Amino acid sequence: MRIIGTDAPRAADRELVRGAARYVADVDRPGQAHVRAVRSPVAHARLHAVGAGAARAQPGVLAVLAAPDVPDVRIPIRLPFAALPGAERALQPLLAREVVRYVGEPVALVVAEDPYAAEDAAELVELELEPLAAAADLAGATAAGAPLVHAGVAGNLLARLEARHGDVEAAFAGAHLVVRRRLTLPRQTAAPLEPRGLVAEHDRRSGRVTVWGAAKVKHWNRATIAALLGLEPEQVRLVEVAVGGGFGARGELYPEDVLVPLLAIELGRPVKWLEDRAEHLVAANHAREQVHELEIAAARDGGLLAFRDRARCDQGAYVRTQGVLPALLPLYHLPGPYAWEAFAIESQAVLTHRTPVGTYRGPGMTEAAFVRERVLDVVAGELGLDPAELRRRNLIRAEQMPFSFDLGPEAPPLVYGEGDFPAGFERLLAEAGYEELRAEQAARAGLGVGVAAAVELGGVGPFEEATVSAEPDGTFVVRAGVGSLGQGVETVLAQIAAEELGVPLERIAVRHHDTDDVASGFGSFASRSTVVAGNAVALAARKLREQGGRRAHARYEQEHPFFSFGAALSVVSVDAATGLVRAERHVVAHDVGRAVNPALLRGQLAGAAAQGIAAALLEELPYDENAQPLALSLADYRLPTAAELPEIQTVVVEHPVTGNPLGVKGGGEAGMVTAPAAVANAVASALGAAGAGVDRLPLTPPRVRALLRAAAPGRPPEPAGPGAAPGISGARR
Amino acid sequence: VKPPPFAYARPESLEEALTLLAEAGSEAKLLAGGQSLVPALAYRLARPSHLVDIDRLPGLDRVGLEDGALVLGPLVRHATLERARLGGAWALLAEAAAHIGHLPIRLRGTIGGSLAHADPAAELPAALLALDAELVLRSLRGARRLPAAEFFAGPFTTALAADEAIVEVRLPPPPGVARGAFEELAPRAGDFALAAVAAAAAVDGAGRVLWTRIALAAVGATPLRAPGAEAALAGAGLGEEGIAAAAAAAAAECEPALEAGYRRELVAVLVERALRRIRREA
Repeated sequence: MRIIGTDAPRAADRELVRGAARYVADVDRPGQAHVRAVRSPVAHARLHAVGAGAARAQPGVLAVLAAPDVPDVRIPIRLPFAALPGAERALQPLLAREVVRYVGEPVALVVAEDPYAAEDAAELVELELEPLAAAADLAGATAAGAPLVHAGVAGNLLARLEARHGDVEAAFAGAHLVVRRRLTLPRQTAAPLEPRGLVAEHDRRSGRVTVWGAAKVKHWNRATIAALLGLEPEQVRLVEVAVGGGFGARGELYPEDVLVPLLAIELGRPVKWLEDRAEHLVAANHAREQVHELEIAAARDGGLLAFRDRARCDQGAYVRTQGVLPALLPLYHLPGPYAWEAFAIESQAVLTHRTPVGTYRGPGMTEAAFVRERVLDVVAGELGLDPAELRRRNLIRAEQMPFSFDLGPEAPPLVYGEGDFPAGFERLLAEAGYEELRAEQAARAGLGVGVAAAVELGGVGPFEEATVSAEPDGTFVVRAGVGSLGQGVETVLAQIAAEELGVPLERIAVRHHDTDDVASGFGSFASRSTVVAGNAVALAARKLREQGGRRAHARYEQEHPFFSFGAALSVVSVDAATGLVRAERHVVAHDVGRAVNPALLRGQLAGAAAQGIAAALLEELPYDENAQPLALSLADYRLPTAAELPEIQTVVVEHPVTGNPLGVKGGGEAGMVTAPAAVANAVASALGAAGAGVDRLPLTPPRVRALLRAAAPGRPPEPAGPGAAPGISGARR
Repeated sequence: VKPPPFAYARPESLEEALTLLAEAGSEAKLLAGGQSLVPALAYRLARPSHLVDIDRLPGLDRVGLEDGALVLGPLVRHATLERARLGGAWALLAEAAAHIGHLPIRLRGTIGGSLAHADPAAELPAALLALDAELVLRSLRGARRLPAAEFFAGPFTTALAADEAIVEVRLPPPPGVARGAFEELAPRAGDFALAAVAAAAAVDGAGRVLWTRIALAAVGATPLRAPGAEAALAGAGLGEEGIAAAAAAAAAECEPALEAGYRRELVAVLVERALRRIRREA
C-alpha cells in the first residue's frame, strides 16, 4: 500500500474549516487573570524608576511588576552554532533593567481581573525615562561616535563573520568584467495571522506549571523556562494548541514566555496573555534588514569566477534565541548553486536601537539569494547574455556532486551532497515556458520576466526521537517532538508511519502537542521535521513491525544538513506611469528528494512564494530618525491579499537522495528563498535601462517611479526587451 | 486592543440620539458602521466619553430622488452606493465606493461616517466634493445646510459641532450630458489611496467643456477641489491638449504632505486617466 507520495488530506483541516480548532485565545482556565505589558515608548533611555502606585490603586488590578520583581536573568541562545563568543554580551533580560533599548521592549507587567482593566491600568504606569541618543539604523549604529546599544560591544559590532574560498584576488585580476552593487533588504517580519499568546496555570500541590500556547521548540523552551525560574524541567509542562502560523518568529522563547508562568506561580492563579497586533509588530522578532556590497567577477564567456561580499546585518537591540543566525546564514548561502573559483565574504552583525532581529522563513538564504541573483542579472546584461543562459553556464553539474567549497583550515568545507541543479533549472524553464515568455515580453511593453536559483539548507539535526505504540483497538499512536504550525507535519508523519506499518492512514494518531506526552524534540524549524522526525518515525514503525510487541522507539541522527536546489521564475507587469507592479505569474521549483505529501508540499511552496512576492513588492517595517517604528498595524505592514497575488505554479523536483532512509529533503522555506530575487529581476527586466537601478526592496510604486524618472526624466519609459539591463557601474576590462 | 471605558447608548430615534449628544457634551461620538471608530477605540487613538449608536436607527439609509437631486441618508452603506445604478456624473460615486476597504467594510461603513471621520485619503469626501454635495446637519438647536466644500476643515476635522449629526447628503442634478469617473492608486486592494481623483465633465457636440468638476484625495489636509485643472479643461476642451493641461494644473495645485514629488506626478496620471475615460463615454 503506497501512502507516501499521496495527497492525503490534512488531519487538522476538518476542525479548522468548521471553526472548531482551539487556539490559545480559546483556552480559558477557571479564575484566570489577564496580563498587559507596559512597553518602552522610546528607543533608548535610562530607566530611573517605574511608578506603579496609580496603576496598583485601580480597581481590579492584582499586581504590577517591574525588573526588580523578576529574576535578573537573560534569555539564552538556543542554537549552539549561532552562539558566537561575545554574543552573550547582548542578551535580553525579562524586563528592561536600567536601560531601555527599543520601542516595544517590555518594562513592566500589569495583572488584572479582566483585559480591559489591565490595559487601562497599564496606561497609568509611570516610566521615569531619561532619553538618550539612539543608534537608529545600520548607518547610524556604525558611524564614528555612535551611541552604544550595549556598553560591552564596541562600535555596536557584535560579530564579524568571514568565509573565504580560493584565490579571490587572482580571480578578480583575470576577470573580463567586474560588477559591483550595493543592495538593501528592508526590515520585515513573519507576521503570522495569529499573534502570540500564553495561558499559564500553577498547581500548588504538585508544584508544576502548565503553559498553553507553545509552538515550534517546546522542549528547549520548557527546559529554559525551568532553568530561568529555578525549577526542574519536569515541573514545567508546555502544551501546543492550534497555531495560526509561525514562519520562524512564533514559538521562540521571548521574555513573555518566562514572565507569564512566573506570574501564575507568584499569584497562585491562572494567568492569560494575548499579544495584540500593535505589540506583535514591535515585540516579536523582526527579520531581513541587511545591506550587502557585492562584487562579481566574470569571464568574457559568462563564466562566473569569483565574488566578494561585505554585509552589514541589523541585529536589533538584543541577541535573541537564534543568536547571530541572520548574519551567519548568508555565509553559507551566498555561493549558491554555481561553481565559483573563489569568494570572500565578510558579514557583520550590528546592534541598533530597534526590535531584535531573528528568523523569518528562509533566513539569511533569502537575503543571499536576492543579492547574488540580482547582481547576476546585471552581469548578464553587461555581457549581452540571456539571464537564464548565464545561470545555465555556471550551475554545478550533476557529475560534480558531491561538490565542496574548501573554506580553509579552520572551517569545515561547504558540501553539496546530492542533486542535479541543471536538470532542476531546465525543468523550471520548461514548465514555465521560458522562451515563449521572453518572446511575449519583447512584444508587450511593461512586461517583465525574472529568474533566480539558489541552494537552501534544510534538515538540520542533531536528531529526533519517535515512538510508535500499538493500541488495543488496532490503532497506532506516533509520538514525536515536532511542532505543527499549520504546515501539516502531523499528516506527513502519519503517512510515513502508515506506510511502514502497512495500515490505513485512519489508524494512525500523531501526538506532538504536550511535553508530558512526548519525551524529547528539537522542534520544527529549518525545514527539518519531515527529514529528521520523519526518518525517526519511519525507523520506529519499521522496528515495531519487525519486532512486534506494543511499542517501539527510534532515534534518527542527522549529522550534516542537506542543501537542496530551488529556482523560481516570476512574471510581472509594471505600470510605468504610476510605478505600480503587478505580479502576474510565479513558478517555483524545488528539489525535495521525495515528496511525502505532494499536495501539502505544493501548499508550502505556494504559501512561501506568496510571502516572498510580498517581500519583494509590499512589506516593510519603516522607522523614523528617532527609531520610532511607523508600522503598527496591518494597514501599514502590507501583507499580501489574494488581490495582490498571481497564480503560483509549483514544480516538485524529486531527485533521489541516499543520505537518509526516506530519501527526503526539506521544503518548508524553498518557496520564499528565490521569490524576492525572481520578482526583483522581473521588475528590473520590465524597466529596461532603468532596471539596472533595482537594488532595494520592496519595489513600491514611488520607488519604481523614482527609478524610471532617474533613467529618463520626463519621458515615457522605453518598452523593455530581454536581458536589457546594462549596468551603470559595471567596469569592463 | 481593548478600548478605554466609555458610556454606550442605543437610542430609538434621531431625536433621542440628538438629545444624548447634546447632554453628553464635547466628548461624545456617534457610532454607525464603526469601520474607522472601532479600530481607533481599540488602538486608544479615540477616547470618547459616550458612544451614541445610531447604526440601527430606521429611516436613515434612504437612497432617493427629489426634484432631480440625489438624496442619501447618513446610514447608506458603501456597498449600497457601489451597487446603485448611478449614471452620468454620479457614476463616479459608485466607482469611489468600490475602492473603499474590502467587502465586509463596505457592507458596514456608512457615508455619514466617512464624511464625519474626514480622513484626507478617503474616497467619498472627494467624490462628494466633486458632485457639489450639500450636507444637512441637525442638532436640537435646529438644522442647517452646508456645502461639502465648507465642511472639511483639516485632517479628521470638520465643521460639525459636537451636538450635530449629518442627517442627509444632497447631490444637485449635474448637467444631463455629464459623465463622471473616479481613479485611484493604492499599494494594495482596499488600502488608503496614494492619490485619488474624482472627475466629472459635460461636453457639447463640438467637444467644448460646458461644466467640469475635479476633486482630489490623499494630496492635502482635506479633499481638494482643483479649480486650476477645471479652468484648464474648460478652456482647452476634452482633447489630449486640454487633458494634459488639466493634469499639469492639478499636479501643481495639490498639496501632498508625504512623497510630494511622487504624489503630484500620480495626480497628473490619474486626472488624465479619469478624463480620458469620460471622453470615451461622452
